[in-house]
Amino acid sequence: MGKKETIKMIEMLSEIAAIFSRWNKKLLRQPILIFFNLIQPLVWFLLFTQAFSAIGNIPSFKLLTGTSSYITFFTAAVIIQTIASSALNTGLGLVNDFDSGFMDKMRVAPINKSSILFGRLFSSALTTVLQVAIILAIGLVLGVNIASGIVGAIVIFLLAALFGIAWSGISLFVALNTKNAETTLSVGLLTTFPLLFLSASVMPIGLLPSWVQQVANVNPFTYISEAFQSLIINGLVWQKIEYALIAIFIVGVLSLGASILLFRRKVS
Amino acid sequence: MVDIRVEDIVVVDNLHKTYGKNVIAVDGISFKVKKGEIFGFLGPNGAGKSTTIKILTTLLGKTSGKATIDGLDIDADQVKVRRIIGYSSQEVGVDDDLTARENLMLQCSFHHIPTEKAKTKVNELLQTIRLSEAADRRLKTFSGGMRKRLDLASSLVSDPKILFLDEPTTGLDPQSRQDIWEYIVKLNREGMTIFLTTQYMEEADRLANRLCIVDQGKIVSEGTPAELKAQVGADKITLRFKMDDHEGCEKAKDLMSKLQGIEAVGKCGDGIAAENGLTIMTKNGSALVTQVVRALDGAGINVEQLNLSAPTLDEVFLKLTGKTLNVVERKQTTGGWGRRRR
Repeated sequence: MGKKETIKMIEMLSEIAAIFSRWNKKLLRQPILIFFNLIQPLVWFLLFTQAFSAIGNIPSFKLLTGTSSYITFFTAAVIIQTIASSALNTGLGLVNDFDSGFMDKMRVAPINKSSILFGRLFSSALTTVLQVAIILAIGLVLGVNIASGIVGAIVIFLLAALFGIAWSGISLFVALNTKNAETTLSVGLLTTFPLLFLSASVMPIGLLPSWVQQVANVNPFTYISEAFQSLIINGLVWQKIEYALIAIFIVGVLSLGASILLFRRKVS
Repeated sequence: MVDIRVEDIVVVDNLHKTYGKNVIAVDGISFKVKKGEIFGFLGPNGAGKSTTIKILTTLLGKTSGKATIDGLDIDADQVKVRRIIGYSSQEVGVDDDLTARENLMLQCSFHHIPTEKAKTKVNELLQTIRLSEAADRRLKTFSGGMRKRLDLASSLVSDPKILFLDEPTTGLDPQSRQDIWEYIVKLNREGMTIFLTTQYMEEADRLANRLCIVDQGKIVSEGTPAELKAQVGADKITLRFKMDDHEGCEKAKDLMSKLQGIEAVGKCGDGIAAENGLTIMTKNGSALVTQVVRALDGAGINVEQLNLSAPTLDEVFLKLTGKTLNVVERKQTTGGWGRRRR
């Protein structure tokens, strides 16, 4: 790497740091936003698991999952919902910047355009990790123990952060394309629920009807939730983590690649 | 070929911008901005002002044409152009969740200014825009004028060679507008070149050294405000006499006709219906007023009222485009009681 590239790299890191801390400040000043995205996952956590607790009694459930506690199994689904909900906000934040004129202010500055996206993404990832920590803490109160212990919890945070960044790419893409809050919001909401039910998050894959199984097999939510489930129920199962990382990588390359390309094209 | 001179900081040649297939926003404009001047783009909404400023500030791609800023091509040298320009948008691009100081510091980091230097710079700027006391308050509590001042300051952190202002006072109250005008003039006196768009005649008249009048994506006229006004015609001096003082009016008419520098003298009672008045046209009204007053005084003619009015840019715009600027939209009640019939 030449001297010029090194300087560019350092400059870009400082730009990302500045934008990252801007978003963190905004979040800290409206801490209610941290909880706002948690409302829906929490309602599900508290109500859904009560109403459907009998699922845990299905004889093959324990065989397939390793637990007869539905709430323990369902924790993964709540985490995924939290990640998706947080990812949705990533795009909304950008739409706000377009509306307020702040985006133009950033774009007219001599910075690398990707810094604008990365600063936002990293701050979202941090928010996601905080939210997942809250979910895990509530889970503990509700009797959900993490079989893989502290190390497992850290792996959960890492996976949540990475998947959060990858999934945010979709929200970014919609936001950059439409610059419209309603569209960004509804695309986010409309994709989360079908994908959740057409994956192994709500029900172990063995209990799903065969057509749903087929969809679930290509649904990234399946691999992420299975990794979370195994960390919570069974312990550190590296193969599941590997699958999750592959799924995150594929989603991330596609969604972030498309967003960055679109952003650069729209700008120049 | 365009003849580029050293003193020209902005050179725009035959710029076009088309949205989609048939929406023409900018329709072949060419102009030059000299170093150190305030250059205005005056026109109504939809004239292509914002589109032009967005293209020049590298925010928007052009369809065709060429533009350079300080010799740098706006496409080929995009990043270099960004280093030497400041831009303040119509929307006021500041972050309401941050404090004034944080907003400015953030801009400094976008320009890679080292922290210590940035702190000094930010303090200076806060002082200039009289926000030192409010520096650590979040913008949520700021007035429109305070936010705009901060927005202007935030486009100055890098000491740009040229500042682009898109409708700097649209939506502001009169006092804030005055503040912004003073700030712009101060910056210009310190050597800053300023390109501004506006839909206010008064603003263009007060600030711009030279200006382009734009309408429907085209430049319809260019010049100093005085030159543009001269296209419309002369200054107008109106005298009014007591209702029954016809003799005084006639005497004044003869007297005025003999004064040097007068272009035309009207008839007594013309123009001003039912009033005893006289209209005098001249190229240089303000210089002539004293002579007029002296002559009238010397002849012992009593004048009730004297008015001097210059042609306004409004009249220029009307003459050039057949339209008036700043039409106040009246809400029309369709049907019902409010409807007027003619």
